[in-house]
Formats: sequence, structure tokens, C-alpha cells
Amino acid sequence: MYLFIRRFLYIALLVSVSTSCQTNPYRQGHELYKINCESCHMEDGSGLAKLIPSLKSSGLFRSTPECLICLIRHGLDKNQLTGQQMPANKRLNDVELANLVNYLRQEYASITIAVTTEEVNACLANCKDEE
Amino acid sequence: MASRTSFMSKLTSAFILLCFIPFLFLSAGCKRENKALPILGNQDVVNGDTIRHIVPDYLLTDQDSQQIRISGYGNKIFLADFFFISCPSICPKVQKQMLRLYDKYKDDNRVMLLSHTIDQRHDSVTVLHRYAQNLGIDTGKWKFLTAEKDSIFYLADQYFVSVVDDPSAPKGFDHSGRIILLDKNRHVRGFCEGTDPESVTAFFSTVDRLLAEEYK
Ligand code: HEC
Repeated sequence: MYLFIRRFLYIALLVSVSTSCQTNPYRQGHELYKINCESCHMEDGSGLAKLIPSLKSSGLFRSTPECLICLIRHGLDKNQLTGQQMPANKRLNDVELANLVNYLRQEYASITIAVTTEEVNACLANCKDEE
Repeated sequence: MASRTSFMSKLTSAFILLCFIPFLFLSAGCKRENKALPILGNQDVVNGDTIRHIVPDYLLTDQDSQQIRISGYGNKIFLADFFFISCPSICPKVQKQMLRLYDKYKDDNRVMLLSHTIDQRHDSVTVLHRYAQNLGIDTGKWKFLTAEKDSIFYLADQYFVSVVDDPSAPKGFDHSGRIILLDKNRHVRGFCEGTDPESVTAFFSTVDRLLAEEYK
């Protein structure tokens, strides 16, 4: 009986470890993605033909997080070739932006180094200067 | 001894009968599959004839400024939706599913796709043309259509797709993401929710059933 329980617990532990490894730890980031991004970039990030870019093949997640944070906050101008536009996200605060960016970088570039809210704020101050 | 054998043979025949029971159910199941797809919408009886709901054959303008009526395509069945290009909410998802349907029936020239814009102010013929190009589809098979706003809204209603002006909705329209299946005679034979990939997967078999029925 003791052996059985020990085996059971061992298996349960293995299962929970293997599943938690697969899922992205940034829960809020994932929720924010569903609310603000999924309608265009799709659940799996695949986008829509040439109209909306696939996030899977985007090099942006591998580059410095600054570009990504400014892009999400301010959006992109209307693309003259496709007529499509990436909207701004003025309502996301620094904590939400950090969680979203960390989620995206983990999901699409397997980068586990997290961005902090201080970094987000420093970055936001900079992209404002560019405007 | 004699009674014993007759008992055994009874037993075997009972056994054989039992074996057939599942087949009875199976064939009943098949019959249900073979039943024709229903024609959706109200039916009227005029002078003893039953009149079924038909989607009107309006004159529409496509992405290349051609004037078209869907009756002009003859022997085809249609997959239709209502959308607009600057739509930030459900449209990209629905068009992604239309693209799935397009890919499945790409080489089947009995099937055509129709996307109607509900935003006459922004989606001019040029804008529709550019959109179709960037979607990377063959506009001989998948048309992007426009007409006077009132006509398109009435047409949507006839397709059982709800479209309303709603200033509180994103970009001022509230509409459903249904994809509608029309038969050769413009009867509505089925629909799915274009926002739900699983609903669309189930819809593939509805389209296949209609094809089998219409092209016997
Ligand atoms: C209304 C549709 C829409 C929504 C919602 C949207 N995007 Fe975009 N996104 C676009 C379009 C269109 C482009 C391409 C714009 C261009 O080419 O100028 C784009 C571009 C991007 C890019 C650049 C990809 C590359 O490699 O060039 C990233 C990253 C991105 N979006 C992330 C996001 C995130 C994160 C969100 C949610 C906060 C989001 N998008 C919400 C439409 C959208």
C-alpha cells in the first residue's frame, strides 16, 4: 500500500512538472493577449495571409524589448500595401505591458528573461520622445 | 437427443439474429444521413404551391468593378459572409475560416465564395481589390462584393445574418460572423459561426452533403 501511494505521488509529480513546463507561466499576459491581440493575430499567432503578420515568424520578439513595448503602446501607421493598421493600446499600464511582453517573448521566441515594470517605464518615456 | 439439437439450432439462430441487430441500427443511422439538408427560413403556400425562402438576386459590384448577379454563375453553390475591412473585432477570424473553406474547395469549381462589405463609406472597389490581393486568393472563385448600403443590409437580413448600425460597437457596426451555405437555387441550406473553428470543421460535412445532393 505504502509503495503504491509512493508510486502514485511520483507519477503525479512527473505529470504536473511536464505539463507546467509546456504552459507559458505568464497568465495575465496570455489573458491580455486574448483580449487585445487575438482578434487580429489569431489564437495561435498565425495572423491572416499578408494582411496581418504572423507572430510566429516575427523577429521582433528576439530583438530588444523596447521596440515591442513601443509598438504595442503606440501601434503602427496604416500599411500602404495592405491598408491594414495595428491599433495603439493606450489603456495597458506598465504592469500589464510587462506581463504581455514577457508572455509574447516566452511564447514566440522562448526567451525566459523577464522584463520589469521599471524597464517598461523607462522604455515608454523613450518612445514618447520619438514622437 | 432430437430436442437437444433443435434447442441448439434455435440458440444459433437466436445468436445470428442478435448479430444483426447492430446492423439494423447502423442502416437506420445511414438513412438519417441520407435525408436531404433542410431548406431554412419560412415557407409560404400560394395557390397550393409551397414557396421556400430564396435569397434575392441583387445586382452587385465586385472587386474589379464588374457588375454581377449570382444567378449569372449558373450551376454553383455559394459560401457567403458579411464583413468590413477595418473591422477590428470578429472579421479577421471569420475571414481566416473563409480561407480554410477556400483552401478545401479550391479545386472544386462547383463552389464559390462571396464576401459582402457592410462598410460602403470605406470599402470602395479599390480597397476591396487590394484586400483580396493581400489575402492571396483567386478572385474568380472568391468575390468581394458591394452595393448600396440599404441593399446590402437587406441582403444580409435575407441571408439570416444580423447587421446593424451601432455607434457603440467597434467602428459603428454590430454584425454576426455567420458563414452561410446557399444551394444552386439560392435557398439557404446551412450555416456555421465563422468565429468558431470547430463549428466550421463540422460545416465541412454539411457542404459536402449539399454537394452530394445537388450534383447526383
Ligand atoms: C486590428 C487588428 C490588430 C490588433 C488588435 C493587433 N494587431 Fe498587431 N498588427 C496588426 C497589423 C495589421 C500589423 C502590421 C502593420 C503593418 O504592417 O504596418 C501588426 C503588426 C504587429 C507586430 C509586428 C510584427 C512584425 O514582425 O512586423 C507585432 C509584434 C504585433 N502586431 C503585436 C500585437 C500585439 C501584442 C497585439 C495586442 C496588444 C496586437 N498586435 C494587436 C493588426 C493588429
